Formats: sequence, structure tokens, C-alpha cells
Amino acid sequence: MPFPNNHAPSAGAATVRHLPITFTGSGSEYFRIWIVNLLLLFVTLGLYWPWAKVRRLRYFWANTLVDGDPLGFHGEARQMFKGWVLVGVLFVLYNWASSFSAIAGLVAFVALAALWPALWRSSLAFRLGNTSWRGLRFRFVGSLRDAYLTQLPSFLAALPLVLLSFALPEDPDATPPAWWAGAFGGALLLFLLTLPWLFWRMKAYQHRHYSYAGLQTDFRAGLGAFYLIALKPLLVLLALVGLSMLYVGLRFAGGIAWDGVLWVLFRVLPMLFAGAGLLMFFVIGPWLTARLQNLVWTKTGNAQMRFISQLGFRRLLLLGFKNGLLIALTLGLYWPFAKVAVARLRLEAVHIRSVIDMEALAAAEHEQPGEAAGEAAGDLFGLDMGL
Amino acid sequence: MEHRPPVPDEGLNVRYFDGRSNRAQAVRARLTDGWLHIDAAEAPRQIEARRVQWPERTRRGPRIALLPDGGSIQSTDAAAWDAWVRAGGQSESPVVRLQQSWRGVVLSLCLLVALCASGYVWGLPWAARVIADRFPDAAERQIGEAVLAQVGDLMQPSQLAEAQQQAIERAWQQVQRAHTAAQAARGVSVRPARLLIRHSEDIGPNALALPGGILLLTDDMARLLQHDTEVIAGVLAHELGHVQHRHGVRMLVQIGVLGFAASALWGDYSGVLATVPLWLGQAHYSREAEREADAYAATVLRDGGLSPALMIRLFERFALFKRCGDELLQPEPAETEVVCAEPATSEQPQQGRLWGLGFASHPADADRISFFRDAAR
Repeated sequence: MPFPNNHAPSAGAATVRHLPITFTGSGSEYFRIWIVNLLLLFVTLGLYWPWAKVRRLRYFWANTLVDGDPLGFHGEARQMFKGWVLVGVLFVLYNWASSFSAIAGLVAFVALAALWPALWRSSLAFRLGNTSWRGLRFRFVGSLRDAYLTQLPSFLAALPLVLLSFALPEDPDATPPAWWAGAFGGALLLFLLTLPWLFWRMKAYQHRHYSYAGLQTDFRAGLGAFYLIALKPLLVLLALVGLSMLYVGLRFAGGIAWDGVLWVLFRVLPMLFAGAGLLMFFVIGPWLTARLQNLVWTKTGNAQMRFISQLGFRRLLLLGFKNGLLIALTLGLYWPFAKVAVARLRLEAVHIRSVIDMEALAAAEHEQPGEAAGEAAGDLFGLDMGL
Repeated sequence: MEHRPPVPDEGLNVRYFDGRSNRAQAVRARLTDGWLHIDAAEAPRQIEARRVQWPERTRRGPRIALLPDGGSIQSTDAAAWDAWVRAGGQSESPVVRLQQSWRGVVLSLCLLVALCASGYVWGLPWAARVIADRFPDAAERQIGEAVLAQVGDLMQPSQLAEAQQQAIERAWQQVQRAHTAAQAARGVSVRPARLLIRHSEDIGPNALALPGGILLLTDDMARLLQHDTEVIAGVLAHELGHVQHRHGVRMLVQIGVLGFAASALWGDYSGVLATVPLWLGQAHYSREAEREADAYAATVLRDGGLSPALMIRLFERFALFKRCGDELLQPEPAETEVVCAEPATSEQPQQGRLWGLGFASHPADADRISFFRDAAR
């Protein structure tokens, strides 16, 4: 719900303050950091990765001003290097095991799944624990037990798919048993239908456990809102499939000629796939980003303060087009400029509304920031806090 | 609060957070002899400067130094901060100096491009060769068997007459023996290879070298070459070149490394984009490999007492095959040359030439013909 800017404090209520978030990063500055990082990554055959990442995070954190004061990133590259190696070893072991035999692959999958919630929690704790604002560190206070309980349904929803893919005969030419296709379709449908629920559980676990100076956030977004957001892209994709089927139906209404079918297979289908891919990348992706950011962050807060996110889909869409075009024209050199522009748009769409003085908070007792292995895992698998 | 005049050496006015409350205190920070002094009104502090996480210099943006116990000092006056820190004797990492000069950045970019290019042109083939040379023979044979099992569906037992198969085998053995002896005299060992003749509906006239030393010859290839065992030996000599140079394993390594590099560079932007350098690179590397195999074939033929020029016949037959197609692949050698209905100057060869420039996996036929002609001199 948008909050009016010209608010007047009602009688008896505490003064409502608005804390803006501004981003002062510049594309050319980040370009220089990026190029030197790339060079050093290349020269060290990738070993420089944690140092490159620390440079990048420090730059982005220091240029994110909450109510005029920058965030600090305290992560140590040496610590992150250990995590990076651990995750690398896990990843190699997993790939090696799956190429060894189906059973070994299954064992590796279960082992990785068993380890995954701990890595996930650890990565959140590392990010938050190494971020400070006005001299106080953030903390992630979710428990390990809750991390496992949160991820358990995701594991159970994915398990039938994995088991079925291992049940396939080894010989690619042997036809799978008759029940297989039906069972796989059912498992896939179940997974897709539970996906918004699984995502909601993950976001709820994350956003209920952010803490700053003893102020812990709560997450008040309902499950229904997540299903509503999932509905629109689903309808668009269904409409696309329906329209193309209608088109094919009309064109071949007079009987199907063999070359007509071939024409559909080789001309229409690839174009359809490419079109759906582009739509997903340039339109549905930004739409989901904007809607989810607004939903998730606006519903995050507590009685004293809350976030309000008003990220406009149209601006994100146009920025995506502009970035895609310029990245293509400059053979990728525009990439850091694009990254800075997206960060600015997404961060500055958020502000904090508080009813307390955000400059008179005291530190809660200290806690160790999480292991860097978790941080590296979150990075490798593309998991992040969404801001 | 401050009574001293603002002399640069005397320190810098900063916002100080003590790490216990998030209220800012306006303090003066001084940096002397490796110690950071924070003249806070309530509790002045001294902190060893090397334990402070100093911000890196940037052109714009605020400065924030993180203190070891969680507090921080910060300032929005970047220029004054940088001057203060420099005067305090804090050295700057070479990486920051590089990042902060456009000259350094342009230099880095040029270096990056040069490194990528030379890595691609020299480094990668060199690394692949080193790895391939140390690759265990047993593992390579295993890969070869696996590939054979995979292409096995496309292959049936040869339909050539027993006598024809034996003639090919005999001629090839003779050349191979002569070559092995000649190489032994030069102090070079020849990796063992075995010949398999197979019928295939799908891959047409063709010969393949699989990792581990399996030479595959299709019936159609023998028919196209009219069972001319000398030219067939030349084709097999080319494939033996692939075996000797371990091209199979080298290709695997190169594609693997290229794929990794491409996905590391562009993978986060687009998965499709990441595969483009991959198949461009693959085509290039296999052209290189074909040239190496051609050179090897010329040596093998000379060792076997044959002229490399006989390979020209292969390309003539291929050119004819492009025009006439399957007509040439009759089970028995035709008494007279097949005369094609289509004119020789069709659009087809020109198109092939165009593709050959960029993407074809073999060098243009004309180049290879002139190579073998020169080798025969």
C-alpha cells in the first residue's frame, strides 16, 4: 500500500519517519573494478574469485545509503576462499558421482539435499552478519532446525521427479515402461503446483529472521498473494500455447499433409520456443522481479519499522530492453553499467517507514557471522536475498 | 567541541559509530605512526591502523572504514579522506591504483583481450596436448569403446565381399608395417590402431578415428573410391594421424575448457550466448586437427612407398560425389566412369566454399589438394 508522503501525525501516534534508500554507485566506476577483476581472475585461473567478489560487494554496499549512511561489508576474502573451495569440491564430487552410476548419483543427490539447508542458512547468516549500518551489524537469526523444516517440502516435492528420472532404463533406445510418462507428468504437475508454496516458505523463513539492533522482522505476505503472482505468467504462457495450437488447427483444418507437419516442426516450433524464451527473459522475468520485490519487501517489517517497495514494472522492462541492446552493441562491455543501473532502480524503489528513532538503537549481543561456505554456496546456486 | 584549527595533518572530521549504539558522533580522527586515534568526547580510542578495514579509493561515493570491534568511521568528503589517509602513511594496493586510472583500465582491457586470444590460439591447444599426452591409454580405449557403442546403432557389419575387405586390410597392413618400421628408425613409436569396416546407411562415405585407436571405414567409402586400396590406405593414414596426435582426447579437453570459460564469462547473462564461442571454437580446432592429420598421412604414404599425390584422387571422387550422389556408390565398381546428368557448374560447390570459410570442420578441398600435390614433390 503506498504511503502518502505528506503525512500528518495523528494525535497520540508516534511520528512517522521515512528513511530513503539511495544508490550512489556509478557505471564507469564499477566498469573499472570489473575489468581489473576480470583480468586478475584470468591470470589466476579463477582463484581470485573471492577477492573479486569482496571488491564488488564492498563497492555496492558502500554506495547503498540508507537514510544517508552507507552499508559496510565486513566479509574477508580469505574466509570466503575456504567456502569457495568447499563448494567446488562438493560440486565436483556430485558431478563425478552422477557420471559413475545411477545409484551413486542418487546417493549424491540425497547427500547434497541433506547438506543444502545448512549451506543456505549459513549463506544468509554470512551475508547479514557481515553487513553493518551505522556501526551495528545485521544478523540472521533463523535456526538450523527451521532451515531444514522449511526446505523439507521442497525436497519431498522434487524427490518423485528425481526418482523417476533414475528409474529410466540406462539404454536410451529402450522405451520406458507405459506407466512412466503418466507418472512423470503427474510428478511434474505436482511440483509446479506446489512451487509458489515452496517459494513462499523460503521467503517467509528468510524475511522472518532478519534482525538489526534487536529489531527482528516479521513477514506478513499470505500464500494467496504468491499464487496470484504465479497465475498471470501462467495464463500468458497458456494463451501463447493456445493461440499457436489454434493457428496450426486452422491452417491444417483441411487435412494434414506430411510436409505441412514438417513445416510446423522445423519452422514454427523453434520460432515459438525462441519467442517464449525472449518473452520470459525480457518481459515475464522483469514482471516477476518487480511484483515479487514489492510483495516480499513491503510485507517485511515489525511494529517499529517496515520496508515499502514500489518498483515499477514498466521502468524495469524499459531498462531491461536498454541494457540488453547496449550489452549486445558493446560486446558485453556495457555489463557493469547495466548492473549498476538495475541495482539503482531496484534499491531506490524501496524506503523504510519507522515510528521509532532509527538513530537511537543499541546493539544486541554479538554473534559470530556465518561460515563463508554458505556464502559461496548461495552464490554458486544463484540464491540471494532478492535485494 | 573541537577547538583546534583544521590543519590537514591534525586529522579529519568524521562521523563515528562506536559499535554499541547507532547514534553518530562527530569526532576528529587522527592517523599517526600506524595508530588510528578517535577523539570521541566520552571514550577516546586508539586502534592499530592495520586492523582497520580501510575503504578502497573510488572517484565518487562515501568513505567508510570498519573498525575491528564493529564500529565505523565515515565521511562523505572523499577527497579530504583520501588526502588524510595518504598523509597518515597508509599505502594503497596496486589493484586499487589500477582500478582508479583509466589508463590502467584500458591497459587491463587490452591485456585481457590479448591473454584471451593467446590462450585460445596457443595456450589451450598446448594444454590439451599436454593433458592428452599424459592421458592413460586404458582410459582412452574405454572412451573409444563407449563412442563405438554409441555409434553402433548407425553401423551394421560390412556388406563388402570377403575378398574386397581382405584386399583393403592387406594393403593397409603393408603400409602400416612400413610406416611403423620407418618411424622406429626415426626413434618414434607408433600407437597401435585396428581397422573396422562397417556398413552404414546414415553417415555415407566416411572414415573415423575413435579415441584409443579404432579406425572406422564405411563400405560406401570403399565403393566411392572404387576399391582402390592405395587411396583407401591414404584415407586410413589420415585417420591414423588423428590417432597418433590423440585428437579425440585433445578435442574433449579443448571443448571442456572452452565451455567452462564461456559459461564463466557470459553464462550469467545468457546460456545461449555462452555456447556460441564453443561451437565456433570447435570448428576451428578440428580444422587444425585435419591439417595435422593430412601432414601425417603424407608421411605414412611416403613410408609405404606411395605418393601423397594419390590423395588427390580422393578429392576428385568427393567432388564427383557431391554432384552425382548415391549413383557412385554401386556395390560393384562401374566399368566406365559415371556421367552425371547435372552440369558441373552448379551452385552447390560455391555454397560449400562459403561455408568452408567460417564453419566447416575440414579445410577447403582445394587447399588440401595443393597440400598433397606439394607433399608429393
